[in-house]
Amino acid sequence: MKRYIQKVLLCAGLLGVFASAAMIHGSQVAQAGEEKNASASITIDNFSFTPKEITVAAGTTITWVNHDDVPHTVVSPDKKFRSKALDTDDQFSFTFTDAGTYNYFCSVHPMMTGKIIVK
Amino acid sequence: MIEGPATGFWGTAAGFGADLNLTVELIMGLALIAGAFLARAKRYAAHGACMTAVLLLNLVPIAVVMFPSFDGLVLPRLTSHLRKRYYAVAAFHGVLGSAAELLGLYVLLVAGTNLLPEAWRFKRWKLWMRLELALWMVVLLSGIGTYIVWYTPLLRR
Repeated sequence: MKRYIQKVLLCAGLLGVFASAAMIHGSQVAQAGEEKNASASITIDNFSFTPKEITVAAGTTITWVNHDDVPHTVVSPDKKFRSKALDTDDQFSFTFTDAGTYNYFCSVHPMMTGKIIVK
Repeated sequence: MIEGPATGFWGTAAGFGADLNLTVELIMGLALIAGAFLARAKRYAAHGACMTAVLLLNLVPIAVVMFPSFDGLVLPRLTSHLRKRYYAVAAFHGVLGSAAELLGLYVLLVAGTNLLPEAWRFKRWKLWMRLELALWMVVLLSGIGTYIVWYTPLLRR
């Protein structure tokens, strides 16, 4: 009977260790997933993009939010992304999956420019 | 330097197309005033040529710059955003501008051709032409207002 109890306790202990390991691993996977789906935001205010230049990891989703009272657009000159006209508080998101440097501008106000560096 | 549409030359946030359009419209406004003085000087052939040239040339910036801009940026949200000055000033300019261009073409048809039947032709020349010139000047001013609201953040604050 004593041996039986010892076996049960041993099994329970092993199960506990495996369960803990699985939970830790799952947490790490979740964190890695969160890092992979990182996000950043760029505000449009007073006819400028802020920050004007931003460096992010590949897989990052960037969201532009227009806080001006006039419409703006977010347009890549090499046609990689292009928003519709964004009115006040409208948003536009794009996920940068490949490393590289991405310039963009507002097609209504071409002096408004910005740069995304993806590493 | 980021490649994109060329920036303008008036030192505002406008692109080259908008600045060129404003410049052309200002020149056309001056040409219409000059044309009115030609009529006062009884140089009617020169007056007719001047007014006709402005009316017909104005169709180009309407087709190339103003209508595409209005269609892309204003029309889709006009009904829900008319209270915002960005949309209101452009709508005011668009409606009055369309009326001025159409009235001008009508005056041109009556004064310069025999295409319209007699019942459709006006008799009070000065009244209609002065009305058209006054309307055009209001449209020009509203166009300048639209430019300021759309492209000059510092002047608007």
